Parts: sequence; structure tokens; C-alpha cells
Amino acid sequence: MHSRTETIAPFLQHTLPIGALLLCWELVARTGLVNPYVFPPVSAIVIRLFGLFGNGAVYVPLESTVWRAVVGLCAAIVVGAPLGLLMGRARWAQWFFEPLFSFFFPLPKIALVPLYVHLFGLFSFSKVMLIFTDCLFPIVIFTYHGARGVSPTYLWSAQARGTGRVRMFWRVVLPLSLASLYDGIQVAVVVAILVAVVSEMVAGGSGLGHAMMLAFRYGDVRSAFAFLVTISLVGFLLYKAVQLLRDRLLFWHVAES
Amino acid sequence: MKIVPLLLVVMLWQAASMSGLLPAAVLPSFFAVVVALLSLVKSGQIFPHTAASFLRAGTGLLIGTVCGTAVGLAMARFRPVQRAVEPILLSIYPVPKPALIPLFMVWLGIGDLSKITVIALSCLVPVMVSAFNGARSVDEILLWSARARGTTEYRLWWRVVLPAALPQVATGVRAAIAIALIVMVSSEFISAEHGLGYLIFTYGGVGADNAMMAVVLYLTAIGFLIDRAYVAGLRRLMAWHAFAH
Repeated sequence: MHSRTETIAPFLQHTLPIGALLLCWELVARTGLVNPYVFPPVSAIVIRLFGLFGNGAVYVPLESTVWRAVVGLCAAIVVGAPLGLLMGRARWAQWFFEPLFSFFFPLPKIALVPLYVHLFGLFSFSKVMLIFTDCLFPIVIFTYHGARGVSPTYLWSAQARGTGRVRMFWRVVLPLSLASLYDGIQVAVVVAILVAVVSEMVAGGSGLGHAMMLAFRYGDVRSAFAFLVTISLVGFLLYKAVQLLRDRLLFWHVAES
Repeated sequence: MKIVPLLLVVMLWQAASMSGLLPAAVLPSFFAVVVALLSLVKSGQIFPHTAASFLRAGTGLLIGTVCGTAVGLAMARFRPVQRAVEPILLSIYPVPKPALIPLFMVWLGIGDLSKITVIALSCLVPVMVSAFNGARSVDEILLWSARARGTTEYRLWWRVVLPAALPQVATGVRAAIAIALIVMVSSEFISAEHGLGYLIFTYGGVGADNAMMAVVLYLTAIGFLIDRAYVAGLRRLMAWHAFAH
């Protein structure tokens, strides 16, 4: 009895406000106070969402978006992690790259869409490149700070044992920076989905962002809402997946290096 | 010293353009971009667009910051508010905010109102989270000693809770500034008649690469200056905070 209320109560606490909000929405939409055409009731959106998954219309755009986001993100990790480590441990790399990254950091990278379309074409490549560019920033910056913050005690003790430079990098600096790198990846996942969707909204091509824009253009607000929910779910699930993977991959990591 | 790497990159870019390795059809040379920027500035053409963009971003940021701070503080001090708002906050957290732009355009029209609303909503979330965390971490001793002196609840808010939460709010606002710029540009890409995003998109669309790059460069510089000015201003304003503890 006791344990049962303990599991149910928090669940209720979390769902109650959302449920109340959705119920209000449904009622307002049903009373006819607002135009149901532009402000559809929740139930209609849910039905449309199931419809889109049922008839398969959502899978092709879903695949395009996720594929682009994942490829762009992976490319950013492959390039960004070594670069961040290098910046953290080598003076010249820090001297050269740190000002560049801090100068371009506040630029909304989405402003580069027309440039990237011009440079890399209208199709997936320009979108993947934009995702790569935007994800590079959190990954490089987090890894850089991680590598710079490696406690000198570890370096000294490894040096005292005669560890060479290359080995030091692989066996000491990299493992101790992994937690920061992973923090960067967690930020970058969110960025990857955002940039994928916005670049699709702006520059077209298949994908959830484009599908949503099309639905709006056709005045099909229900489908547009359903795509919006799908986009949010994808973002949430990818973020959760990366978070779960952290416990698997970094279980051995000392909490504070 | 910090400017040297930037200058190196610019020189490399210019050298690649002049040697023909980087044809102007791919990327205009740095000088060509600067010339385009100067003519945009000289003719004064770029200023109404700058004003339009930053009026949107600024208004949205202001609304988002004020509301976000208020709700975040209320969440931290009153349990029922936290219970009601937190689940809703968590469920809108993963929504990529620029994806809301077309939705609000359908609801509020394609003018400034929908853009400002989405910007405000996007800025609200990080500010709310940071204000909540900041206010929750207020030292209980400060509250007790203020209460022991007979401070009213109202005064307590203004004189203890808000100042103690301010440094965290400030970090949230810095994130919000970056987000406001992203949503500003995206919304102007999707539909606008003025604004820097509109300029970039239009110049890009008609193949005026020099002018497009000039506006991108201009936007980069402004974004950088805003961020630096914010951090520098914060450092001055927050100087007292180090002594508060």
C-alpha cells in the first residue's frame, strides 16, 4: 500500500498539470471560441499523429532528419574532440584556435544557410555541413576546457614513470577529458536536431522541418502540429539515448578528475 | 595578441582568392566583402534592417527575461507553483523553438508580433531554469537573519532572494541572448520584409554573394560585441556579489 502510493503520487504530480493544460486546450478549441481550423483540439492532433505513423507518411522525413543530424553530429565529434584536446594541451593550438572559436561563437550559425547552400549545394550535404559546424562549437569548447583542467598531479606521476608524449595523450589526457567531451556531446545533440529542422524549414529538402512547413502552407495545421510533436519527440529521445549511453560508457569515470 | 589568428585567417582567405585557388564564384575575396559592407554602411541601407532585427530580438529578450525571472523565482519559493510549472516546462524543453515560428505566424500573423512572441518564449526557458536554480540556492541563513530583523516577505524578495539569484539569472540571460539571435535570424529567413536575416536570405537568393557575406560578417561582429559588452557590463555590476558571501 505504502509503496504503491509512493510510485503513483509522483507520476500524478507530473502528469496532472500537463493533463489540465491539455484539457483546457481541448475545451477551448471545442467551444468554438477560436477557429478550430488554426487552433485544432488536442484530440484531433493526436488522431492525426497516429494517422501519420499509421499510413507511413512520417517515416521518410523522420529518417532524413535523424540521418542528417546523426551524421553531422558524428563528424563534429570526430573533428572536434581531437581539436579540443589539442587546444587544451598544446600552446600553439590554443593560441590559434581559441580566438577563432570565441569570435564565431555568438554568431547564430543558422545565418550561414544561404552561404552553405551556395557552397555545398541544395541537398543533404549543405545541411549536414551546417549541423557539423554548429555542433563543433560545444564539442570543441567543452573538450578544450576538460583537457585544460586535467590535474597536473596525474601528468607528473605519469611523467615520473617515464610515459612518453603520445602515450600520455592516449592514456592520461584523453580518458580524463572524456567526461567533458561527453558534456559537449549532450549539448550538441540538441543543437543537431534544432539545426537539422531549421535548415529543412528554410532550405527545403525532405525532412520533418520541411514536412511541417509544407503542412502549414497547405493550411493543414493538424498535420503541422503532428510533425511538431514528432520533432520534439525525436529531440527528446535522442537526448535521452545519449544520456543513457553515458552511464554505460563512462561508468568507470571518476566523478571529479 | 588575440586578434592575430583572426588576421591570419583573413590573410589566408585573401591570398587564396588572389591566387585563384578560391574563385570568386565559390567565395568572394575578403576585400570584396569589406567593400560591399562599406557600401551598405555608407548608403545607410543596412541600418533600418539592423534596427528592425534588434527591436524584435530586444523586445523578445526583455519580455522573456522579466517573465522568466518572475516565474523562476516563484517556482523556487512556492511549492504549488513549482508543481504546476515544472512538468510543463520539462515538456516544452525539447521543442526546438524556431520550429514554433510558423505556428505562431498562423496564430498571430506574419508581422513582428509572432516573431517577438517566439523569441520571448525561447528566451523564457533558460532564464526560468537559471532563476529557479539561483533562488533555490539562496542561503537559508540570509533568509532567517532578514526575517529575524522583521523584514516583510515583499522586501525579502526584493532585497534578498532576487539579488542572491542574480548571478545565475545573468548566466541564463547570456544563453538567452544567443537563442534570441538564432530565433531572430530563423524567423526572418522564413518570412520578413526587413531585418538582417531577410537581407542575408535575399542577397543569397539573388546570388549577390559579396553583399550576403558582408551582412554575415556584420552580424558576426555585432553578435560578438553584444556578448562581450554583456560580460564586461556584468563584471562591473556584479562586483558586489563576491563580497556578499
